[in-house]
Amino acid sequence: MNAQMSLPVIELQGVHKTYRLGAHAVPALRGVDLAVRPGELVALTGPSGSGKSTILNLAGLIDRADAGTVRLRGRAVDAGDEAAATALRRDAIGFIFQGFNLVPVMTVADNVDYPLFLAGVPAAERRARVAAALDAVGLREHAGHRPDALSGGQRQRVAIARALIKRPGLVIADEPTASLDSSTATQMLDLMRELGHRDGAAFLIATHDERLTRRCDRVIALRDGVIATTDTEMPA
Amino acid sequence: MTALSTPLLAWARFAWLNTRRNRRRSLVTVAIAALGTAAIGLAGGFALSTYQGLAEASARTTGHLVLARAAQFDGFEDTPLQHGLTDAQALRQRLLADPAVRQVLPRVEFGGLISNGDKSVIMMGVGIEPDAEFAVKGPFLTVEAGRELAGAERGAVMLGAGLARNLKAQPGASLTLLAGTTEGAMNALDVTVVGVVATGVPEIDQRLVYTDIATAQRLLVTDRVSSLGIFLDRMEATLPARERLGASLPDLTLRTWEEQAPFYRSVRALYNRIFGALGLILGVIVVVVVANAMAMSVIERTREIGTLRALGTRPGQLLQTLALEGLLLGAAGGAIGAAITVAVSVALQLFPVMMPPPPGRSIGYPLLITLDAGLMLATLGLVTGLVALASALVARRTVRLPVVAALGHV
Repeated sequence: MNAQMSLPVIELQGVHKTYRLGAHAVPALRGVDLAVRPGELVALTGPSGSGKSTILNLAGLIDRADAGTVRLRGRAVDAGDEAAATALRRDAIGFIFQGFNLVPVMTVADNVDYPLFLAGVPAAERRARVAAALDAVGLREHAGHRPDALSGGQRQRVAIARALIKRPGLVIADEPTASLDSSTATQMLDLMRELGHRDGAAFLIATHDERLTRRCDRVIALRDGVIATTDTEMPA
Repeated sequence: MTALSTPLLAWARFAWLNTRRNRRRSLVTVAIAALGTAAIGLAGGFALSTYQGLAEASARTTGHLVLARAAQFDGFEDTPLQHGLTDAQALRQRLLADPAVRQVLPRVEFGGLISNGDKSVIMMGVGIEPDAEFAVKGPFLTVEAGRELAGAERGAVMLGAGLARNLKAQPGASLTLLAGTTEGAMNALDVTVVGVVATGVPEIDQRLVYTDIATAQRLLVTDRVSSLGIFLDRMEATLPARERLGASLPDLTLRTWEEQAPFYRSVRALYNRIFGALGLILGVIVVVVVANAMAMSVIERTREIGTLRALGTRPGQLLQTLALEGLLLGAAGGAIGAAITVAVSVALQLFPVMMPPPPGRSIGYPLLITLDAGLMLATLGLVTGLVALASALVARRTVRLPVVAALGHV
């Protein structure tokens, strides 16, 4: 294992974040320390307002901390430098959203292809990788369909394929099973684990779903913007 | 994205797909762009047609170029034809040697009185070479009674319609012309009316007397002419011919038809302002309506824009796509607007519509729309550009929203 691989994919140190609502300051994170290692599935749990989404936003480089440091693969990232943050998101971070957030006018294949297109991957390679990704999530025959022709579970599979196709070091997933029924949710979790392990991607997942937390390597419980407990359990 | 290897084509395809999201809204945008293009194209084509008609009429009246002594153009003279040309025939031959010169027509302009024996009224006389004049100019006068002047006859006149009514003169009537000679004496000449004509300008028709050059020169007791009207083979040859001929005749002055046509210049200036303001208003309307439609479209897609930003799309790439979306809609509308302009222009050729006489005129004119490739392309480009610009302007703020805010948009 080289030094790069041993580094946390994402690391938050002494991170503070406060939201301002008019004259009121609402602290969301109060000195959070967190590190996610390559290939690790980490679940963030806690009640609404505990800071799960804020951690996802900071780790996903779509928001900036008021204080503290965010490191991606050991390098401090200034999310205020939007151009640099955009490039890092494009190259190193995948996103899975609760509402799938697929582009409705694009086909399934185009949605999955989009991150590769942004990264400037040659067309021939993109075609091969998209086909492989759709095979992996069992949607090859739906490549030419629009998202609105798919079920919720199928859409989330497309979102997983889109998040993983560029082989990111980190996948940010916000309540990825919230819109899915129990059996579909379980399938999604297994798929994420399998593909994540295959590609070496770490997952940072905000969830209320116990089925999901049971399958994660680590569960971090948040309360009022601080880490309350950390449980480590190996999935079956 | 998978099928396209060129990024610009891929973005263009994405833009095309986006135009199909809300077809009714896209149709409204296309319709506005089409109407804007058609309105500007039709108004501009009408103005061009008017300019061309007036320019041709002006050049046909005076000649593309008018050669005279400089003082003749000022209009101030102590005696008639004081500044006239004495060697008209020799000059005419020199001018006709130029390859662009089709004909050279001498003119004698004079003022005086015309009398029917009972009353005398002021006249504005023009001596012409009838055969050459009518051959070159074509039917530039409306003959209301009698006929046009013929080349060989002497002592014949055509009267303006208003003047003929004033003098109760019909073809065959005998009248007397009175004018000062070039020596300062008065001279009178009996003439016969052969025709009554209308120029389309009532004020001129109340004073106008056409006669042949020899009769005019006999009245003024001179062999001079006021000026030589130079008719060229085409309008575009005017300025080069002026330069060429002017260099070979340094003692004389050449003026273009445009310099001799204050009515043309004032109409053009007026129309330029009217249609310029109209174009500006239409441009503003197109921008406002398109901006409104695009704003709705962009606001509805705020969360999606946030998603694309989270995936690593740069704001500039999104702005480019949204501007491309506007460009596609604008180009489609512009093309439809251009087609409408062509269709209306052709329809007006097939089914002529007459416009009422303009102020100061007694004859209407056909409504025509000139199809000018430059104007059409400029209008198409302007409308397409405006729609793209409006799209980019309304999208600018949204694509630069913080990603978290865009993703949280409801």
